[in-house]
Amino acid sequence: MSSNQSGIIQTFVKKILAHLDDADPQRLNSFLSLFNQTGNCKIILNGNPIAQPTEFLTAWQQQVVQSQHNLTSLDYHIIPGSGTLICDVGCKIRFDESGRNKLDQDAVVNPTNTGTTSNAGGIKGRPFWGPFHGVSIQLIMDDRIFKNDQNGVITAINYNIIYKPDDSLINLE
Amino acid sequence: MNGFHNVNNLGSLATQQMMTNRVEVVITNWENGSINDLTSFLSRQSRIAVRDVRVEGNAAIGYVANKKEAEALNKFNGIRFAGKSLKIQVTGGVDNSSPTVKLLKAFLFRRYDPQTKMLNLGSIHTDAELVQKGLFTTISTQSKMFAAMMKLASSESNLVVESVNLSDNNLKDINGITTLAQTFPNLKNLCLANNQIARYKSMEPWKNKFKKLRELLMTNNPIVNERAYKNEMLKIFPKLVMLDNIVVRDAQKLDAIYNFPFKSKPFFFENNELGSSSTEFVTNFLNLWDSDRSQLLQLYTPQSQFSMCSDASVPPSSVKDADQNPSFGFYLSSSRNITKISTDTSIQQKLATGPEGIAEIFNSLPMTKHYLLEKAESYSMQTISYGQVNGFMIILHGFFEETTKPMNVNNKGRPRRFNHGSNASSDKRLSKKSFDRVWVLVPTNYGVIVASDMLTVRPYVSAAWIKVPDTPATINNTAVPMQQMNQPNFVPNTTMNQQMSPPILAPTLQLPPEIQARLSPIQLELLNKLHVDTKLNSEYTYMLAEQSGWNYDVAFKGFQSSMGQIPREAYIQ
Repeated sequence: MSSNQSGIIQTFVKKILAHLDDADPQRLNSFLSLFNQTGNCKIILNGNPIAQPTEFLTAWQQQVVQSQHNLTSLDYHIIPGSGTLICDVGCKIRFDESGRNKLDQDAVVNPTNTGTTSNAGGIKGRPFWGPFHGVSIQLIMDDRIFKNDQNGVITAINYNIIYKPDDSLINLE
Repeated sequence: MNGFHNVNNLGSLATQQMMTNRVEVVITNWENGSINDLTSFLSRQSRIAVRDVRVEGNAAIGYVANKKEAEALNKFNGIRFAGKSLKIQVTGGVDNSSPTVKLLKAFLFRRYDPQTKMLNLGSIHTDAELVQKGLFTTISTQSKMFAAMMKLASSESNLVVESVNLSDNNLKDINGITTLAQTFPNLKNLCLANNQIARYKSMEPWKNKFKKLRELLMTNNPIVNERAYKNEMLKIFPKLVMLDNIVVRDAQKLDAIYNFPFKSKPFFFENNELGSSSTEFVTNFLNLWDSDRSQLLQLYTPQSQFSMCSDASVPPSSVKDADQNPSFGFYLSSSRNITKISTDTSIQQKLATGPEGIAEIFNSLPMTKHYLLEKAESYSMQTISYGQVNGFMIILHGFFEETTKPMNVNNKGRPRRFNHGSNASSDKRLSKKSFDRVWVLVPTNYGVIVASDMLTVRPYVSAAWIKVPDTPATINNTAVPMQQMNQPNFVPNTTMNQQMSPPILAPTLQLPPEIQARLSPIQLELLNKLHVDTKLNSEYTYMLAEQSGWNYDVAFKGFQSSMGQIPREAYIQ
């Protein structure tokens, strides 16, 4: 067996987090390709089951503001004979609390031209990062990942926000 | 003016004076005597009279004449009465019942409408009663009184306020009323109309304070003529929808931006059976984990893996109850947090395979107490079937308390240089910790084995899924009894494969429904196999399984050895 399994896993987990933080809808397809596409991929987010990876990624892209994940802990077990491994990931997440969604649109009605909220130049506004939330993620994936094959390797993902700061504007309830 | 010139008033004034000076005391732990015995005992011992005593629950609540008497009585705290030591607490300070406080309290309640949850503090200076008492006449007393009033309001749990009206108060800025943000952080509507607020700079103390403010009324203030007025207000109040009766933000879009689409639900079970069997597993497992870890080792095979990972990253201080100074002294040496370890050798070393290695790490972790039953609301669980191992995965998030130091401290893989400067007393302090634990379980004929077990230990926090009640009145219903955990709020998703759905029983195996309901899928499967293999009827199969302690091999051997004595009617007819 390759001696750099942990390196591969760490890179892969960071890649997933980077995909979650990516505001560019163009790159959704390459994120989608990491999930098992046979209709048997299990996705649970804060206790809510989501039937399809596409459904999950579309909701994340359209309904969640821009985010930033920081990996804080990672452990994994390769389950012998199953062709799979499980990962236990701890990270922090903060959200863009500027009031703009991933497409840089805000909720202001008729913004005046003196406003800072307008998007005249087409340059995306700088995110206004809120305080950190805690996240715990469990992943089941195929061990093909060690052979540099990432296609459809994720067969289950369980994503839970485990703590929330009181001073965040994001509502989880 | 104050009534002292009127001789006829003296009597009532004296009573009033007495009433306003008196101090409330609460006495507990007097159960073995009567209330009269208690008061006469106290007056004998302390020479202080406790008056107007009433009983509330196990406490006797009464009054002493003044603060001095209260202090004197306090010295008798712990005195023996009827075989128990009395607990005497002075609860009401003199200030608490001062005439001004009473006056302000009365004013607050007069101006509060519970129906609309509105506190109307409009034109305070014209309030007849307050003016008569000489309050709110000058700007300086007004701002002092306002701060006092806010303090009173925040201690009154009966005041549930969503809207505040502060119009017509001659306010030049908000300096006198900034405390409003601490008292009512969840305010939805605020009216400041008809004041003299001129500069938006003066509103800045409220920046990001009213996170739920939907409507603001500032009409008839010079500030509304400022050029950047609207934008500044939008910046100060991030969720403002209506400003001076004009829609400034699209409420729907605003909700979409700030509402996380996946609401926190503490429990997810792929199906009902998985829910009840995993709840049972976790409860039993943690009981043994807290009391006798060695008993758990029979669940682990030589191929089973366990590792522990500490995530010492400190949560922000604005997280409720977050431990800002956690100690991880007992965990660091076994921690397999691969973001912190650089060499593959030590990553390999910190993975325990087989019961022996696992026992070693188990014993190196502090002894704990979990509160799964007592504080069920602090735990969150997900279960997912795991087709590739014909089993399932249970994930539990929650907290535990460290009760005693570990049986033996693991120093393996910890270079000596770490010994330098380590401070045992602060690094190895016992405290509460939050954790995430992942078990991969594989059902077998004998029960269940743990294929993989991963534990992440992190600083204690109050969990994100715990609902904070809006009003203090609902505090009592927050606890979710454990029974409810068995009733998952989830309808099985048809696209998910159902590894752990109840096994299909042979048509000849008929169990009374109440018995079938009590059995776990694992037990049902064992029954079914036994039934098919022995050709015994349902009743005898069940007896055999029960007698053998739900162990298939024992049951089958028992069947084989006593085959001669089994009556004919015991078999499927």
